[in-house]
Amino acid sequence: MVDLRKEPLRLDVVTPEARALSLSCDEVRAPGTGGGFGVRPGHTPFITSLATGVLTVVAGGREVDYAIDGGFCEVAENRVTVLADFVEPAAGIDLAAALREHDAAVERLRAIKAQDGVAFRREAALVRRAAARVAASRNHSGH
Amino acid sequence: MPSLRDIRKRIASVKNTRQITKAMKMVAAAKLRRAQEAILRARPYAQHMESVLGSLATRADLAAHPLLAARPPRRIELFVLSSDRGLCGGFNANIFRRALRFLAEAKGADGVPYERIELSTLGRKGRDFAARRKLTARKDYSGIFEQLEFGKAEGIAREIADHYVDAELDAVFLLYNEFESAIAQRVSLVQLLPIVPRPAGGDDRETPVDYLYEPSRAEVLDALLPQHLAMQLWRAMLESQASEHGARMTAMDSATKNASEMIDRLTLQFNRARQAYITKELMEIVSGAEALK
Repeated sequence: MVDLRKEPLRLDVVTPEARALSLSCDEVRAPGTGGGFGVRPGHTPFITSLATGVLTVVAGGREVDYAIDGGFCEVAENRVTVLADFVEPAAGIDLAAALREHDAAVERLRAIKAQDGVAFRREAALVRRAAARVAASRNHSGH
Repeated sequence: MPSLRDIRKRIASVKNTRQITKAMKMVAAAKLRRAQEAILRARPYAQHMESVLGSLATRADLAAHPLLAARPPRRIELFVLSSDRGLCGGFNANIFRRALRFLAEAKGADGVPYERIELSTLGRKGRDFAARRKLTARKDYSGIFEQLEFGKAEGIAREIADHYVDAELDAVFLLYNEFESAIAQRVSLVQLLPIVPRPAGGDDRETPVDYLYEPSRAEVLDALLPQHLAMQLWRAMLESQASEHGARMTAMDSATKNASEMIDRLTLQFNRARQAYITKELMEIVSGAEALK
């Protein structure tokens, strides 16, 4: 029996429109709907839905941030599978532009009157996405 | 016999048409390539989704969830995926033929007739089809293919799931064109709801330890299952789109070939007519000269 605690984590992040990440790492931190959580090698099988926020990948002592929104995270036998609606590396995000985009998205959402319907959900997703980008960018510059 | 000028006009007009069909073929080919790439990009997510759902199913009994509970199909809905635009060969006609057969048979795999069938359409051509056949579509989504994005599939999937629960449907079927190759599409009918998870691995080890669920199993399933549904719909939409471009490319290719053939035929006819005209004129001159003698 392999001691899972001594093996690296295998992380796969996929979105419906692309495969985003596939790498080995030592630790993954992500925003669950029930609160933030971290995964290290040997973690017990675990499944959670994800909220909006920052996904942090630790590999070789270096932390890399990603903006992330929605989806799920499954942990089983050192494999971490993240099925996200949206992922973007924080390093490529311009904070000022992300803030402006967020405000614009909030304005657009306010303009939609119906509280349900496809258009409202779409705009709401864009607001969450913008918020995640701002948070990731802030976190990134904080390192 | 058409005059020389008439034939010349026709040749010009057919040449114009050929130019248009040729351009459409090239556009379809470029779009097809992009659509194929989109299918490939969606694949990893779909596979991971399948495996997560599969390993959930091996770890816990899921039958209690409304989107998973299987009942004998009595009240069902047929969701028809067509295209927004025409000029794509048999793409839509094949789908509609299959849809009509489905509505005529109106019974499940167990041979028991359905009590009620509802119809929903996606694509402008599907809407037109329903109107032509005087079928009432419960819901119609048109103009989705202009800009395909996952968020739209998600929104539609959510509405389907809500209606499935509200109207106490027993099954929802999806009819769409599956992409086989640029020149071949296959009409395929799949069951969208209830969701049937495929158990992971297929190895007969003892049941693995159940997951820790956060916030709770019910909430994880409530979020995961609609997402799975959205993914299925998304894949079908991508497949259908690639098929549409493939079908259009083939149709426009043969249209271009037909136009070329027609131009050849018309050119031959034109040359013959011109020859006859010259001969006739010569004869007139010769006989005129004869008469003067």
